[in-house]
Amino acid sequence: MRYILAIALSVFVTSLSAQEKQFPKDETGKFIYYKVVDSLVLSKTVLLERAKNFVVSTNKKTMKLESSTDTSILAKGKMIIDKTILVAGHPSGEVSYDFVFEARAGKYRYWLTNFVFIPYQRDRYGNFVPKTTIGSPLEKSADKLNAGSWKDIQTRTYAKVAKFGDSFKKFLATDKKNSEPVKKETVSTKKW
Amino acid sequence: MKKFLTAIFAMASASCALAQETTTSPLEISGSVDTYFKYDFAKQPNIGTSFASDHNSVSLGMIDLVLKKKTGKASFVGELSFGPRGQEQSLIDASSGTSSFHIQNLYVNYDFTDQFSMTAGYMGTFIGYEVISPVGNFNYSTSYLFTNGPFQNAGIKATYKFSDKVSLMAGLFNDWNVYTATRGVSSIGGQLMVSPVEGWTAYINVLSGAGGGGYGTIADLTTAYQITDKFKLGLNAANYDINDDAGGYAGAALYPQYAFTDAVALGLRGEYFKYKNVGGVEGDKYTSVTLTANIKSGGLTFIPELRLDHSGTKPFAKENGMAAPNAGQFSLAAVYAF
Repeated sequence: MRYILAIALSVFVTSLSAQEKQFPKDETGKFIYYKVVDSLVLSKTVLLERAKNFVVSTNKKTMKLESSTDTSILAKGKMIIDKTILVAGHPSGEVSYDFVFEARAGKYRYWLTNFVFIPYQRDRYGNFVPKTTIGSPLEKSADKLNAGSWKDIQTRTYAKVAKFGDSFKKFLATDKKNSEPVKKETVSTKKW
Repeated sequence: MKKFLTAIFAMASASCALAQETTTSPLEISGSVDTYFKYDFAKQPNIGTSFASDHNSVSLGMIDLVLKKKTGKASFVGELSFGPRGQEQSLIDASSGTSSFHIQNLYVNYDFTDQFSMTAGYMGTFIGYEVISPVGNFNYSTSYLFTNGPFQNAGIKATYKFSDKVSLMAGLFNDWNVYTATRGVSSIGGQLMVSPVEGWTAYINVLSGAGGGGYGTIADLTTAYQITDKFKLGLNAANYDINDDAGGYAGAALYPQYAFTDAVALGLRGEYFKYKNVGGVEGDKYTSVTLTANIKSGGLTFIPELRLDHSGTKPFAKENGMAAPNAGQFSLAAVYAF
């Protein structure tokens, strides 16, 4: 019984804390997920290569590289938003987004914005598929009848984007395909 | 036929053995519940819609439960329904009292590549615009095209996706709407999907073999175009010929729908339908207009609907029991999807 109460309490607390987190808005009024990260160990070149690798290799099925320079990359992507309770649930829709990455010596920043939601519906074969091809901006206000479910979609999207951001930061810190060149240490007998 | 099926299963088994995919998706659980009230203006069941058949009664649709899971490249879908809509109104052998539920979908699928997949089992039919589940339809009552066409097909099918704009399906199927073939694996079917522009998808379907009323061939066009974020236009046209001039049908239905807000949408269904002549006897013709609203709040949708049907051969009944060329009904349905 105590275990059940503990599980129920943790689910309740988790859902409460998840509800508190929402996207801030940028100067144009769009939702944005914006992070600046210090990275003193890795060079700008390595950061950029790793970020590009994250887009074109690790997430090639869900992201598409739009353009890149020697300091930045721009990509588009989409993620599935699930309606999940404990271990069961189903997709409720997909959110497309713009992803921007910029690197400098000692730090980098990235942001996701221009979120557009497309709801899913179950098709005749029991699979969830997009209901329409024209999505709704995530920051739009919903009418009274659907305010609760729309806020839930915003909250779930934030949670998914935050998880995506964490995985991106971790990837940039640990990707072994693009490592700093190892300096060979040699012993000089000429200088002493 | 046996050799062909054996070759397909051998190929599938070999590929399964080679595949070492371990990615597992969570178990998907979804479904719906629906109930309705209908009032027929002749004060008796009159219009031949598949569902919403009871007059002046708060009646049940069905509870529909769907399970799906994907592990690597393999997945399954199992969908069971309980209730009049999912039993005697859409399952042939339920009327004999042998089934207490209805399998809507029960199949396994394997994605050999991102483009090529194969599916085997019992599936919702690929023919037509409307479906059994009330969640998949805008209107609550159903068209004549839906009522007279196949509901489900058991079989095996292969789908190749050339791009997001073009895909092709071909398969071998049992006769319509049965778990076990009564005339063997007797039908061949195919579907070409094209999406010429963003938002417009068209399915050209053919199913030939044992079906309703005998051996025959259905050709079907099902298409929908989301023209703006508010306006969607759907079209279904079909022709079914049973061999030896033993009947069939032809018809077309147009589905314009307009969303006033995220919560409120209005849709019209205009249909023309004709049974084929049999032995010199002319088949009935029907025209039907259905005006439907969808009012959504979260998972719940209210569906008020007004329907008027006409047929020159007077197949309908007046309140006093006399034959009538016109029939009308009002219904209010509530559908909850989860």
